Amino acid sequence: MRVTNSMMLRSTMRDVGQSLSRLQDTQSKITSGKAITRGSDDPTGTASAMSIRQDLRRLEQRSRSVDDAQGWVGAADTQLTGMMNRLTRAKELVVSAGNGVTNLTPAARQAIAAELRSVRGDLLIAGNATYAGRPLFAGTAAGPAYDSTGAYLGNDDAVVRDVTVSTSMTVNVTGTEVFGTSGTGAGSLFEVLDRMATAIANGDSSAMAAEHTNLDAATARVRSAASSIGTKTAALIDLRSRIDDDMSALTSRLSEVEDVDIVESLVRAKAEETSYQAAVQAAARLIPVSLLDYLR
Amino acid sequence: MPNISSLNTPLSAMRAQRQILDVTARNIANATTPGYHRQRVELATPGTSGVSGSGSNAGVDVSRVSRSADDLIIARAAREEAGRSAADTTAATLSRIEALFPEPTDHGLAAQLDDYWGAWSAVANDPGNQTARSSLLSKATTVVNSLKRGVEDLTAVSDAAKSRMAGIATEVNDLTARIVTFNQTIASQTDPSADLLDQRDQLVAKVTNLTGALTQVTGTGEVNVFIGGRQVVASSFAAQLQAPNGTLQFVSDGQAVVMTSGEGAAVAATINDVVPRYISALDDIANTLVTSVNTVHAAGYGQDGVTGRNFFDPTGTTAATIAISTDVAGQPSRLAAGAPKLPGPTAPGALDGNQARVIAALADSATGASAKYQTMISGMAVESRSAQQRASVQGTIADNAVKEADSVGSVSIDEEMTQMMEAQRAFQAASRVLSTVDEMLGFLIERTGR
Repeated sequence: MRVTNSMMLRSTMRDVGQSLSRLQDTQSKITSGKAITRGSDDPTGTASAMSIRQDLRRLEQRSRSVDDAQGWVGAADTQLTGMMNRLTRAKELVVSAGNGVTNLTPAARQAIAAELRSVRGDLLIAGNATYAGRPLFAGTAAGPAYDSTGAYLGNDDAVVRDVTVSTSMTVNVTGTEVFGTSGTGAGSLFEVLDRMATAIANGDSSAMAAEHTNLDAATARVRSAASSIGTKTAALIDLRSRIDDDMSALTSRLSEVEDVDIVESLVRAKAEETSYQAAVQAAARLIPVSLLDYLR
Repeated sequence: MPNISSLNTPLSAMRAQRQILDVTARNIANATTPGYHRQRVELATPGTSGVSGSGSNAGVDVSRVSRSADDLIIARAAREEAGRSAADTTAATLSRIEALFPEPTDHGLAAQLDDYWGAWSAVANDPGNQTARSSLLSKATTVVNSLKRGVEDLTAVSDAAKSRMAGIATEVNDLTARIVTFNQTIASQTDPSADLLDQRDQLVAKVTNLTGALTQVTGTGEVNVFIGGRQVVASSFAAQLQAPNGTLQFVSDGQAVVMTSGEGAAVAATINDVVPRYISALDDIANTLVTSVNTVHAAGYGQDGVTGRNFFDPTGTTAATIAISTDVAGQPSRLAAGAPKLPGPTAPGALDGNQARVIAALADSATGASAKYQTMISGMAVESRSAQQRASVQGTIADNAVKEADSVGSVSIDEEMTQMMEAQRAFQAASRVLSTVDEMLGFLIERTGR
């Protein structure tokens, strides 16, 4: 092939230009720290980076849901533990009243009845407890859960949190599950305590015995609600740590896909710089040379 | 024996060598002129070229000054350059479109959609919280605005392409008119000058570069130019083109110009294929978003216990027209976070957030708006990537074609120097012959005169 000066100039300029543009690519990757600055840099990487980012954002949302669920369940747990303590006291009162029902003075019986009523009051307050302004034991109703007479104002609906991408968890126990339903069987816990207080005040031993059984059954119900909440607490702690693990795994995967391997890039940049310098130097030497230099 | 006419032979040689020197100087002067082809003086013995030289049968004639150019190679280089124009323009357009959708980042539409779904999740967690509800509405507004801006930006790309197409029409009209002028001059000369041919070829190459035009040289040396099989330059006629609304067409009958290569083909593809395709992808995303959210939302209940409201305006199912429905705009308490209670259905508790959970779960739908947007971005990345690769391959091909044309036509300083020395030597030899003949004649005249 016939080679002329302008051809050499043109191809040298193109080669030097390409060499410089490669160097610039690598430099910009190093300075931005990103291997993918736009989709066409790496279409496959872009697709996985987008889906990893989506997973991460989803996981952050789930993490907030788990936080909320933990708060909710923790609040319910505290209230239920308090209730169990008050119910233990009620049991003591009932036992002491039952043992000495014939010996106790009416005044002493009245005192026991009054304390039982105060236990009932405490339980009612606990039943109306809220978490972040929401009644804990009213299902999905706006609340409060119980009015002052102990009548249930809530509903039996579940409060659900999406705790993982594919699973959800019911985080509440309703008033019905904790305190029973008024009007069915022995009625609600508040009614049982009411009747028990009246029976003790009146010294009615047969009514007392009947209500004692009812109280035990109601206590068992509260205990089962507490244990169901306890199970959820444990499950949520487990989920919490799993989400944290997943999150750090995803973050490091994202970094693998999106971020520049600095060491490798620096080495490459150095190599490209050298090749650019070589190209420029060769051009500087070759281009001015012609037959003219050797003619006189 | 020498006679008087013997003096003419070296004289013709000296004339010829001087002309060679002239052409060499001209070649060197134009070594970097674009489109210039090196010229050669063609010599012939008198009588063979049919051109009368010195009027004698002796000596040498300059038959013509020709350019060293190969029409086929020039045409091939122009065609490959047109291919490069098309590939470069396509790659640049796609790269510009890509920049309109900053992915993968935390501020692109993907993130905004995720924020929107996340806001539903936040409402599900705390349905009574008006702040969470208001924030959901503002996240939705962000998504709506992004979709609208996407369409506006894409339309701007298409508008720029349309005005470029109008520019191409004007340029081509100007070029073809000048080609016709050159054609006429060339046809009128029996031996058209190399400079005329060079200049005309350059104009033709520009037309090819813009439109992928094909050329054909006639017997009289004129060039015919065809775009998409239809002639735009004939011997005395140039077809006028126009591009109203982005379609290049003939002024005479309004028929569209079909371009298969050149910048024009890429610009046409931007207007007719690339931009509409991405706008329709955005429309699909908007439609999916509106339909899927509305279906669930209309079944849910607001805090006021009312059902059947739309979240998005059901009439706005394109990316340009999507809007938040007037049912809920500015009224966060009306957002249907509550799921219908079955059987019935009846309104759920005021703090029920189950319907919000169902909407939040649309985020993970394989046919949902988020998934469709990801598909669109992946497709865009692949398309842009392959356009870049095509451009780089076509660049190499075009470089080679240009190199091939250069190897025939471009000026080599070394060659010209050699040529110059050769001419110099021949000139010296001829003058030597002249002086020798002169001496001999002088000798004869001196001696015989005595």
